[in-house]
Amino acid sequence: MASTLPTLAIPGQRLAPVSSYAAGPGTHVQNANIYASIAGPVLVNPASSKTAKSTLSVSRSPLRTAAPAAPQSAPKSTAPGPSKLRYNTLPAVDSIVLARVTRVQKRQATVSILVVLDESASNKAGPPPTTTTAPTGGASDNDNIEAILSSAANPENHSNSDELRFQALIRKEDVRAVEKDRVVMDEMFRVGDIVRGTVISLGDQSFYYLTTARNDLGVVMARSEAGNMMFPVSWKEMRDPVTGVAELRKVARPF
Amino acid sequence: MTDRRRINGPPSGTRPAVFASSLKSASGAATERPRRHRQPNELRKIFLKTGLIPSASGSAYLEYEPSASLAAARSSPQSLIPPSSALKLACTVHGPKPLPRSATFSPNLVLTTHVKYAPFAARQRKGHIRDASERDLGVHLETALRGVIVAERWPKSGLDITITILEAEDDRWWGDAPDSHDAPWGMMNVLAGCITAASAAIADARIDCLDLVAGGVAAIVSDDEAAEEGNSSTPKLMLDTDPAEHKSILSACVVAYMPARDEITEIWLKGDHSKASLGVDDSSLGHEALIDGAVNAARGAHTVLVEAVRESAERYAGLSTSDS
Repeated sequence: MASTLPTLAIPGQRLAPVSSYAAGPGTHVQNANIYASIAGPVLVNPASSKTAKSTLSVSRSPLRTAAPAAPQSAPKSTAPGPSKLRYNTLPAVDSIVLARVTRVQKRQATVSILVVLDESASNKAGPPPTTTTAPTGGASDNDNIEAILSSAANPENHSNSDELRFQALIRKEDVRAVEKDRVVMDEMFRVGDIVRGTVISLGDQSFYYLTTARNDLGVVMARSEAGNMMFPVSWKEMRDPVTGVAELRKVARPF
Repeated sequence: MTDRRRINGPPSGTRPAVFASSLKSASGAATERPRRHRQPNELRKIFLKTGLIPSASGSAYLEYEPSASLAAARSSPQSLIPPSSALKLACTVHGPKPLPRSATFSPNLVLTTHVKYAPFAARQRKGHIRDASERDLGVHLETALRGVIVAERWPKSGLDITITILEAEDDRWWGDAPDSHDAPWGMMNVLAGCITAASAAIADARIDCLDLVAGGVAAIVSDDEAAEEGNSSTPKLMLDTDPAEHKSILSACVVAYMPARDEITEIWLKGDHSKASLGVDDSSLGHEALIDGAVNAARGAHTVLVEAVRESAERYAGLSTSDS
């Protein structure tokens, strides 16, 4: 392995020839050489097979591993591998997002995307946070999910900055996998709910398309009519801890 | 109802222009044009720092070192009017963010650039609405940056680049009367600074770029000293000219240059460079020498840019190791 790989790359810096590496996210190829296109630490992902070349990429998210240039020979069984790098921070097909419901109509619900979750972060979101000990390569946005959610769930913040967020639609037939024709949107989402969904299409010029038709997708945070945070009791019901009134939602599996 | 039968005077009172070249200071000495103390190929020092505006996804602040005459005037002021000015500007990058609802679908990143002078930036106050020269700068900047950004990696999103100029270069020495060589020479220095600062801010926002694009200015000037001494006033090529320091700038050129690829994304030539023969040994045409000079100036700015972006990357990467 050539020892000329820098730890930190800046845009336009030549990293390696394409004959020795494959170009990954954060790089581009010019004249059979791989150049960095963003500033950040250089990563080498070891090839999955003997014949393939290792992938050279520049990380967009700050890394916790201090030696990025050395390919780690550790097998993936011990720890979840480094999170898959992406070409951008935008929602893409199959990425899991957290979004806030801004409008509920008969045939669809409009949501605004708060954050695009990393694969590592969605692993982190799965088990309860008290038991997670495995270090995960967090991204900049995903480090402050709690802050984003608490500010987004606050009714006072609902009007601002929606124009700055990517908008998405959840169509009636994408809400759940079974009994699609019996879906009543009012009993699935309410304005202000925080929804975990996955992107099924980049959509048209203004909207992405989301689906919640999976057990782990749906409403994750909601307030009751009385304004209290509710807890889930079943796949279609949440309950207010203060008044005890149950409300209908398409609830995401909490664990 | 205005009187249309006569030629009216201006509605408010006017004063005849008083030029500093005809003024005597309190000590009796005439105020003098600031002199260039640098070598012809020596740039002013550049201060460039990224990430100063926390609410933006990327930001940069750029400042040129004030010329020696300005520093001298500050330590021992002879006049209330500063002899020259130095460039100061701030650049913010917002985005990638969703396109406005009225926009059509775009598979690429949509770039918007705004350049605005602060009202106090120049000797003549600027209004709050962008005027033609500011819009012109914005278009030039957009051309310079469009060739650098890898736009196809950011579908359906927009990027807003806003530059506020806090202090602009003068177009000429303030004591000079407008003459035939007049042109907005200061604008070219401003554009070069805008390009360098925007490049740093884009790298700070982590938008994919082909290279760090740097702006550079070169100008062909004719020095009046040489003419007074009876020599034939040979025009000289100078890098990073401060327009206040020269009697007349014949032509100037600003480029946006990518050193790693040796490509120019934006070029702006102004003035008459046909008769500027740069000495007997230099047979190259005026405009070629100008462009080469501007590229050299951009290479100099690029070294500063590299350090600023490296600092931004280290800060970004170091943040996570400290809080993990």
